[in-house]
Amino acid sequence: MVETILEVKDLSVRFDTEEGVVGAVDRVGFTLMRGETLGLVGESGCGKSVTNLALLGLVPSPPGKIVGGEALYRGENLLEMSAGKLSRIRGNRIAMIFQDPMTSLNPFMTIADQMTEVTMLHLRHTYSEAIKHAITMLGNVGIASPESRIHGYPHQFSGGMRQRVMIAMALSCKPEILIADEPTTALDVTIQAQILELMKQLQESEGTAIIMITHDMGVVANICHRVHVMYAGRIVEQATCEELFARPRHPYTLGLLDSVPRVQKSAAGQLLAIDGQPPDLVHLPVGCAFEPRCRFSEERCLKEQPMLREMTPSGRAACFLDSLDGSKALSKETMDD
Amino acid sequence: MTEPSPTTPLLETNNLMVYFSSRKKWGEPQRFIRAVDGVSLSLREGETLGLVGESGCGKSTLARAILGLAPVTAGSVHYRGQRIDQFSARQMRPLRQEIQMIFQDPFASLNPRMSVGQIVTEPMSIFQLYSRRERRLEAMRLLDLVGLNPRYMNRYPHEFSGGQRQRIGIARALAVSPKIILCDEPVSALDVSIQAQVINLLQDLQQKLGLSYLFIAHDLAVVRHIADRVGVMYLGRLVESTDTERLYNNPQHPYTRALLSSSPVPDPVAERQRTGIALPGEIPSPETEFPGCRFFDRCLIREASCQTHDPPLEGTEHRVACPLAGKEIAEH
Repeated sequence: MVETILEVKDLSVRFDTEEGVVGAVDRVGFTLMRGETLGLVGESGCGKSVTNLALLGLVPSPPGKIVGGEALYRGENLLEMSAGKLSRIRGNRIAMIFQDPMTSLNPFMTIADQMTEVTMLHLRHTYSEAIKHAITMLGNVGIASPESRIHGYPHQFSGGMRQRVMIAMALSCKPEILIADEPTTALDVTIQAQILELMKQLQESEGTAIIMITHDMGVVANICHRVHVMYAGRIVEQATCEELFARPRHPYTLGLLDSVPRVQKSAAGQLLAIDGQPPDLVHLPVGCAFEPRCRFSEERCLKEQPMLREMTPSGRAACFLDSLDGSKALSKETMDD
Repeated sequence: MTEPSPTTPLLETNNLMVYFSSRKKWGEPQRFIRAVDGVSLSLREGETLGLVGESGCGKSTLARAILGLAPVTAGSVHYRGQRIDQFSARQMRPLRQEIQMIFQDPFASLNPRMSVGQIVTEPMSIFQLYSRRERRLEAMRLLDLVGLNPRYMNRYPHEFSGGQRQRIGIARALAVSPKIILCDEPVSALDVSIQAQVINLLQDLQQKLGLSYLFIAHDLAVVRHIADRVGVMYLGRLVESTDTERLYNNPQHPYTRALLSSSPVPDPVAERQRTGIALPGEIPSPETEFPGCRFFDRCLIREASCQTHDPPLEGTEHRVACPLAGKEIAEH
């Protein structure tokens, strides 16, 4: 569990748009250990998906541009790798599953054709080997009678089944890293529970490291070991899963946790929403990007951008405040009113 | 319209059915998609009735049928004691002033070529409310009410974020001073922090204006927060319905229990300890015909008799459609 397999340092991605330059990802850094699940949490536009697209060389360019940083996978920088070399890693050693299983499968190809394509390319399987392998994989992800279903087309599968196919396909080369971008967001809760369970089982048996991109704090609590919270293109908090929920260090994390209604708690007045809107990435404030929405904001936050700093041995946050505890008690009181 | 007695619910459906005929295959009998298959529920003045269930359970079709936007196959819909499901389009019109709807997708439900002012004043001009000048003032008042700057009147939908667009949709629904708003997944397309803002807004408006909501959602936590009573739907049927607290503290139907235990909780300690009831399989196609209970295939407490006996929704305060309700689910 201590072996680092991916190390991202100071990754920055920009998009040139008509409105101006969008700093989608700003000096993001993290490490990923073998066999762990790292959560990347944040709301739409916070840069969590772009970060991972950048790792796989999938940022559309133009308008996108990786302007700095490195991503070391087994000592090699993914960001400077040749297209050919990267394509040997992508889908093979590092695989990705997307939110919408409807649009990420090709509607004109059978599941068999789509699944064999990957292993024939990367593992140099013959067609019959590849089919055999694909059937085993489909069985592993819980698809009944895979021998016959493999010859079907995507439209013949339900949403949950398609996501299983995507996972089977992503795992068919036994990748070391699986990047899952909101894999259960489009699914119903009972199916979501099945898919999360499946991912945990596969991780246990294969030792795959998972980067879980999500906005759902419930999913984070369920599957992640460590969590990074992103806001406006930056990582604002890094912590272990337990720490993050027990004692959030960044006001944004606290706000996120407070604004989620709980299924096991009865309604107590109003939800503690975070006021305002996420910032416009073209015109970011000079100081802390969260300052306009922050209920702890001080004079200093307007002028200076807080850097990630150590708060506990395993947790870092980009905030000038040492602790949010006193004010957390305050937030509970206002909730009872 | 006759004055209803105080016990008459504002809105009521009785054994409502909405069937769609599926494409007939040659040599096969005509099949029907039973989107809503015998749902009876009532909405009282000033309350929020939550309706939960997974995709395809018929909760949105139910809302559309109430407004006459989906064909009612059998059963009835009553508004203030008056039967409205057989109304013609012309008869239905004045009712749309009383019952409004807000939709899930704030991007698709606003006309991109209309300014915010036009969007919000359009319902008023359709119902010939106010003078032209007053309409504009009223629209500005509504924008202010839903937390948008009234100066945005001349802007277009694309200039707003998802949460702001949902506020515009809410202002549009309020433009004709309705009594009931049917909310079809109004917050599920929004980010969490924005979701909380819109939920708070809906609650505020309910208090200020005395609105009744039929609140459709798949997020059980959101429904617990906002609803006074909750109905759980599965494959066109209401399987359980009672007060919110009773439902969440003491769920009876095996499907409700599975739904509640599948929702991940934002608490890692609880998540690691919990023994979730993992529901096997998926929702069957609504074309399937069921001699017995439609939850049979996925049920964890089923008995042989369930396959042939279709359980009715029974009870008064706490209605459940399962004779084995509450039976212990074996650990597995």
